[in-house]
Amino acid sequence: MLATVDSCVLAGLEARRVEVQADSANGEPKFFLVGLAATSVKEARERVRSAIKNSGLTFPGKRLTVNLAPAEMRKTGTALDLAMAVAIALAETGGRVPERSAFLGELALDGAVRHVDGVLVAARCLKKLGYERLFVPAADAEEAALVDGLEVIPCGNVAEVVAHLRGGEQIAPQPLTDAALESSTDVHEHDLAEVHGQEEARRAIEVAAAGGHHLLLSGPPGAGKTMLARCLPGILPPLELSEAFDVAQVRSLLGDLEPGRPIDWTRPFRAPHHGISMAGLIGGGSGYALPGEISRANHGVLFLDELAEFQANVLQALRQPLETGRVTITRSGGSVTYPALFTLVAATNPCPCGWLGDPVRTCRCTPAVVDAYQRRLSGPLLDRIDLQVGVRRVPLSELASEPHGETSAVVRERVLAARARQLARQGCLNAQLRPRRLRNLAALEPGSRHTLERWSERKGLTARGFHRAWRVARTAADLEGAELIADRHVLEALGYRLSDVAA
Amino acid sequence: MTSPPDLSRLNARGRWPPPDGPRVAIVGSRRPSPYGEAVAEQLAADLARAGVIVISGLALGCDAAAHRGALSGGGMTIAVMGTGVDIVYPAAHFRLAEEILAAGGALVSQFPNGSLPRRHNFPARNVTMAALSDAVVVVEAVQGSGALITAEAALELHKEVMAVPGSIFSPLSVGTHALIRDGAGLVQNARDILAALGAQQEVLDDPLKATRRLGFELPANRDGLLIHLSDVLTVSAAELARKLHLPISEVLARLTSLELDGAVRRHGAGYVRALRRAKERA
Repeated sequence: MLATVDSCVLAGLEARRVEVQADSANGEPKFFLVGLAATSVKEARERVRSAIKNSGLTFPGKRLTVNLAPAEMRKTGTALDLAMAVAIALAETGGRVPERSAFLGELALDGAVRHVDGVLVAARCLKKLGYERLFVPAADAEEAALVDGLEVIPCGNVAEVVAHLRGGEQIAPQPLTDAALESSTDVHEHDLAEVHGQEEARRAIEVAAAGGHHLLLSGPPGAGKTMLARCLPGILPPLELSEAFDVAQVRSLLGDLEPGRPIDWTRPFRAPHHGISMAGLIGGGSGYALPGEISRANHGVLFLDELAEFQANVLQALRQPLETGRVTITRSGGSVTYPALFTLVAATNPCPCGWLGDPVRTCRCTPAVVDAYQRRLSGPLLDRIDLQVGVRRVPLSELASEPHGETSAVVRERVLAARARQLARQGCLNAQLRPRRLRNLAALEPGSRHTLERWSERKGLTARGFHRAWRVARTAADLEGAELIADRHVLEALGYRLSDVAA
Repeated sequence: MTSPPDLSRLNARGRWPPPDGPRVAIVGSRRPSPYGEAVAEQLAADLARAGVIVISGLALGCDAAAHRGALSGGGMTIAVMGTGVDIVYPAAHFRLAEEILAAGGALVSQFPNGSLPRRHNFPARNVTMAALSDAVVVVEAVQGSGALITAEAALELHKEVMAVPGSIFSPLSVGTHALIRDGAGLVQNARDILAALGAQQEVLDDPLKATRRLGFELPANRDGLLIHLSDVLTVSAAELARKLHLPISEVLARLTSLELDGAVRRHGAGYVRALRRAKERA
């Protein structure tokens, strides 16, 4: 008898439908698996056989053929296990699966259905493909239930699933629990109120948060660059539902969602070590590329500490994502595109020893070494960083006193208001405004245009630098609630650059 | 100290041997403060106007400022190199070297053509510089700086050694202050150097009318921020905001505005008052 069960395999953030066909026929007892299965899928034969047997079901003592269609598409992963087991069980005893249903899950030898990665992604795609019901591992049910309009059946083991399909004891669909959408406790590790001094950097972080601008902090060791960067998430608004869903999808692919609380409303903060490889940062792997750190930082913050220590080619690879907000990676399996819309916060020492420009300690690097070090940062990457700020060590006397800056909560109020203005005006943050939209949307007062032009004349501003200052000025005006960009906004924006790191 | 090479056998490009006249070496840190750079440039310009040949080492920082100052003062300047005269080091000074030659100056070296910059070449070059000069002026030098080698060599060769004072807070003035404590002449302006060279009174009077005192350019409407800035040590925007209880955005805007007017300069993570340049370069 023949039975057909639907499932899918993932290619990045897309799901490809797979039809699992099982046919038991008279002949020598054998188990054939055909349909371009990769090694991980071929191993399923052994898992499926044991799982069926140990669940108290009978494994057909006949010639059994399982086909994975379409046969021309290569299939990897263990998510097809459950569909295979169900197809084999139904081929033995007869019976049909309900219309527009799909199955995902890995099997243990005792018949238990185990977690697989990417259930949220699969659920969203299958819904789009017209499926109405999805059988998933019980551990992943809450994740799948996030997809609106999809009936999610949590599967504990194969026997339960087969009983359900044959009209025996029914498994209740997974409801969308409040816990799954519960707002996470809004406690951030660092608060701006703990930062001593550093008024310029604090302001730059506020501007970065308000306009989504990338930020570079340059200063000696111990100046507090890392701490400042870690304050950024605390002044950003929580994720919107659609954003949280995007974040959860990437995490789902990597099997990184918290069980029972698949949605996290805090913005991601990713701080990879400077030894990271290209594949780790941008995404990679064999077959279809998996998302890298830049995609995990989507809608959040990517913090690169010791920027100059990263491999040059890794840094160069950031250029496309910084420009477009997504990254396309081609591997043997094909091309996949992942979102990578993040705020880059980078920190660097001004020179290899770190003390260049410090008022007290002397830098021990030769000018040639300093030059080579800074050149590693200059150019196209730095061109895309709107805010560049020098950070100094805070005097010890200052450290001993109570810090007296504003708290993150106060700054966040201003940031939220400024972001709301931008979204109402243009539907995106200022950092994403391209020159043409900038001209239309960010009107300059005559005086401020004059200042900007005078500066480019005197200091030789590039076109990119010109627009960079313009964008930042727009954000400064938004933070103030001003309609037009005034002179003071342009002047402030021009202040966020480092003379000793090329502008 | 290594003894100086035979000065008649130096390799040279440009006008060599130089015309008669007093020769002063201006040396200092390769990474001077904005103050040191301005001093080197100003002194060199004033000396050049007074007919002095300015000698320096074509290095970054004070050396380059001295050559540029001499050029802007319309004088002759000699670059004593640690490489062969056919190799300009650092390469970024290629144009400066061309300008020196074009203005009737010279590039000289004790090393054969094709010599690459080697670490041990430079102390020997510093000695040669002292041997070629009547006086050595150290502008800014940290302890152990190569400029101090030149000063030491000058002492041994019985040449005049002079030094420019600076801030007691600045590590770049530790070396020069040590020289002054040990008896080096104090340099406040080009007149001090000319006097040490024993120039005649009439020489001193005439050309020095052209020398301008180092000073700040005062824009028409002065910003109150200026008096809180130093011309030696950098002050960050954050420090100013803290001291004056002003919002940081306002301080940044005002500093940028002053920078646009040429009244302040960015230096690393901070700001300094801009010293008037010997000649405003485009």
